Amino acid sequence: MFNSFNIDRKFIEGKYHKVDEPFNPHMRRAYHGWDCPESTGLSIDDIKKGLVAIAKQYEDKSHEVQKARAIEYVLQNTRIDINEHDYFPLIYTWNREIKATTFNKWNQGLFEVLVPEITPQYKLFNESGAVSMWPDFDHVIPDWDSVLSLGFVGLKDRAAAYRDKLLKAQGALTKTQSAYFDGIEIEYGAIIEFIERLYRLSLEKNNDKAELIQKGLLSLSKGAPKNIYEAMLLIYLYFMISESVDCYQVRSLGNGLDFSLLPFYENDLQKGTFTREEIKQLLAYFMMQWSAIGNYWGQPFYVGGSDKNGNTKVNALTRDIIDVYSELGIYNPKIQIKYNDNIPLDFLNKILSNVRQNKGSYVFSCEPGMIKAIMSYGASYEEAYDFDIRGCYETGVRANEVSTATGYVNALKAVEYAFHQGFDKRIGKQVGLKTPEIKNTTTFEEFYNIFIAQWSYLIETSINISDRFEQYLGYVNPSSMYSATIEYSLKQGQDAYQSGVKFNNSAVLNCGFASAVDAIMAVYELIFEKQITNFEELKAALNNNWVGYEKLHFKAKKCKHKYGNGDELADWYAEVLARYFSMKVGNRPNARGGVYKPIMHTAMQFVWQGEKTLATPDGRRAGEETSKNASPSIGADRNGVTAFLSSAIKLNPSTYSEAFCVDVMLHPTAVQGQDGLAAMKGLLDVYLKNDGMSLQFNVFNADTLRDAQANPEKYENLQVRVCGWNVLWNNLPKEQQDAYIARAENII
Amino acid sequence: MKAKIFEIKRFAVHDGDGIRTTVFFKGCSLKCVWCHNPEGISAKSKLAYYAHKCISCGECLSVCPTSAHTIENGKHAFNREKCIACGRCVEACLGNALTLYGRETTVEELLPILLQDKEFYNHSDGGVTFSGGECMLQIDFLEEILKVCKANGVHTAVDTAGNVSWEHFEKILPYTDLFLYDVKCFSEDLHKDGTGVSNRLILENLQKLSENKAEIVVRIPVIPEFNGNDYEMQKIADYLKNLRIGKVELLPYHAMGEHKWAAIGKKTTRFSVPSNGDIDKFKELFNGF
Repeated sequence: MFNSFNIDRKFIEGKYHKVDEPFNPHMRRAYHGWDCPESTGLSIDDIKKGLVAIAKQYEDKSHEVQKARAIEYVLQNTRIDINEHDYFPLIYTWNREIKATTFNKWNQGLFEVLVPEITPQYKLFNESGAVSMWPDFDHVIPDWDSVLSLGFVGLKDRAAAYRDKLLKAQGALTKTQSAYFDGIEIEYGAIIEFIERLYRLSLEKNNDKAELIQKGLLSLSKGAPKNIYEAMLLIYLYFMISESVDCYQVRSLGNGLDFSLLPFYENDLQKGTFTREEIKQLLAYFMMQWSAIGNYWGQPFYVGGSDKNGNTKVNALTRDIIDVYSELGIYNPKIQIKYNDNIPLDFLNKILSNVRQNKGSYVFSCEPGMIKAIMSYGASYEEAYDFDIRGCYETGVRANEVSTATGYVNALKAVEYAFHQGFDKRIGKQVGLKTPEIKNTTTFEEFYNIFIAQWSYLIETSINISDRFEQYLGYVNPSSMYSATIEYSLKQGQDAYQSGVKFNNSAVLNCGFASAVDAIMAVYELIFEKQITNFEELKAALNNNWVGYEKLHFKAKKCKHKYGNGDELADWYAEVLARYFSMKVGNRPNARGGVYKPIMHTAMQFVWQGEKTLATPDGRRAGEETSKNASPSIGADRNGVTAFLSSAIKLNPSTYSEAFCVDVMLHPTAVQGQDGLAAMKGLLDVYLKNDGMSLQFNVFNADTLRDAQANPEKYENLQVRVCGWNVLWNNLPKEQQDAYIARAENII
Repeated sequence: MKAKIFEIKRFAVHDGDGIRTTVFFKGCSLKCVWCHNPEGISAKSKLAYYAHKCISCGECLSVCPTSAHTIENGKHAFNREKCIACGRCVEACLGNALTLYGRETTVEELLPILLQDKEFYNHSDGGVTFSGGECMLQIDFLEEILKVCKANGVHTAVDTAGNVSWEHFEKILPYTDLFLYDVKCFSEDLHKDGTGVSNRLILENLQKLSENKAEIVVRIPVIPEFNGNDYEMQKIADYLKNLRIGKVELLPYHAMGEHKWAAIGKKTTRFSVPSNGDIDKFKELFNGF
């Protein structure tokens, strides 16, 4: 019954969007793949109309109840399908249709009615690209232990029991508590009914998958999963309902996937429910779902790591997951490997071998640094050791922490504003602080102070704005589905996402950091150290996007003090500026009873904020991307990977208590053979021992080399190494570059 | 004490075990026609000019003391005869088209650079490698830098063609953890043709190193028009059988160093790239190592 995957694969690839139609991975589910039978429910248009009626019917109720009723309506009426090509059902209503009558309305009300005083600045920040910010509901992981041990039915019953308990203890529930429990009861009731509806549909099917699906749905409609398929089905259904209907992203699958599924795996193998090969087939169907969804941010899940006593958690299932993932040859989901020095070498080498072949998408998450990061805001070791990875790189206490990404502060914009007294020339508005005119500046120290004033203003103002709107997260988007999984939240009857977990944190991201360091250093080198220009000329060059100032432009790009090279001065400034940000943000109380946490990664803002940032003294032209994560600016790291990692380590990664990520660029020839694997492990280990957090290798593949050939200025530092033959990529004539590209295509 | 070097390469992963820093010494007593580091052959400093990177900005003119750089009809021209390899133009060059191969360094200057990546060596069983050119031609400096590397707990490797007196080896043996020893071919006449020198001393030294129980990795370039045939490879394999060799590495020829010949104003000969089949066949001969 499990031999059909290769035939089914192409159907699953078309499940969430039609593969032959244009697809925008930046859109959230604004697409459809398979059509579901019309007999199973209403059209999207009819659902939208129905939601308007539902909103009217319940308009005097709490937001929790209004949202739960809207979800109930969608789940009762969305078209569904159980397909012969898939073990996982299809829900047709992807597009968070409830938003129009709930979330969007309440979000608008928040900024127009509840906190109107912050709205102008909030809009200016987003428009200018100085700080990107919005109420964030995209970084959440349910307590998968609760989900998998209780199932939807058990979660509903547990919430009811806590409601009774609170009622007895308090005599009466507060209005907020009542709304909280009502929301959970209605939403989980709707989810269970929905599973029953799926089950009834599955009974109409008669194919080789039907029996397993029927049993699985029946089981989940009554309680907890009993085998590994049912556990995967539960994870999938939780994910789909939360993401597509409930408007909360789910940022991991299990904690980690290998650990959460292990009891089912062992039990199934022992009892003969499935063979190992059958489980691998099911894993293929499971992982293919996220490959087919294909969102640009990718669906992460983590594996590996250590138990409380420091023993590795890598098990037979971890290896099977990686084997299946490798065989599928997909990039989404992306897998975070919890890394520590106890990791089995053969397992590590398998991952590194995949990485250097550009097979799959991996991030290494170093446990010691992450545990320290979490304990730095008061968590105990017990709370920290089995941390969640809650997004691309974000870390936090498992099942008892919410941390929103509340503001992406563009450090390079602070440099731009230092030149323009806080005026944003691109949009023609005053956004930053009104600081002194730059041409009157006579010392580097004066310039530095102006930059700090601008940067500080962006950080402080964005935190002040967050403090206002984050008081209303539960108002804008009650988290009934998520809250029911968190026992800490149930005990108080308090929305988990608003402030119902133990650690209710908010994170601020340090974006464009290396570009800002390089820009400040360029001012020092060009104006004060070498005295080859002055503020007036440099400002004119920047205003003209370097046109007419070509020589100065080359000199700016050629500056020696750039972050990521082991340059003493640049690294020193990078260290103090990184510290300035993390100390300014870290452990400051937020509006939800928690603290702010600093992040050193940029998500996609290095592109989006770059588009809104004018030319800068580091030689960057207007609109070009800024530096990414804790990595150097493009082409600025000229001394190789060890120099770069040494620079990055000096930034004290684990002081960035939410996340810190480096991208290590390597050429395939540098990581060939057993030597190459040992070298990659050596890099990882040095990072690990210095409290590094996330690291991703980027082994240049043939496509990247082609890009390097077409855009040599972006790859000044790219070196090709073969047994002591050292060649700068840009020094190679085209025919020899072609030979390397051919080689990169055949890396073993 | 000073040495002339032409490059320091961090994160070298194919010149001995682990993550290494490789120092390339200037000057070589062999003149291999296929050499991939031709900028290391001459003991004199040389300015390399990568014409395709030049943007004719003219910055080099203002710093050149001998007018070796000129702009003619808006295009940069370089007169190699006039160049004294002072290197002033290298920093001035806005297009990064100029590189000076050859600069003097001291132990005091070099050691801190080599120690920068010590933590990476420690975590990967790596270390430093001295290469070239022929690093053993500057033996006193080499002995000194090896000594201080060992004193700092750093694994050391010497990459050599072996064409120096045995006394040179004796000097560095106590401080060298690994020899990367180039064997180009076995036949003496062929060796003279390809490199300009006899290989008798080279093979004698290899034998003595083996007798002294040094750790040795033999590296053999494979060039079809030179040694890439069954006869030569078999002869090398037969010779090595009687020695104490840790590993043999075959380095298939490719033309990746060709552009550097042009950049230093020299011509080179293009050879064929050995087939994978030939390489696999030759590897069989050295399986025992």
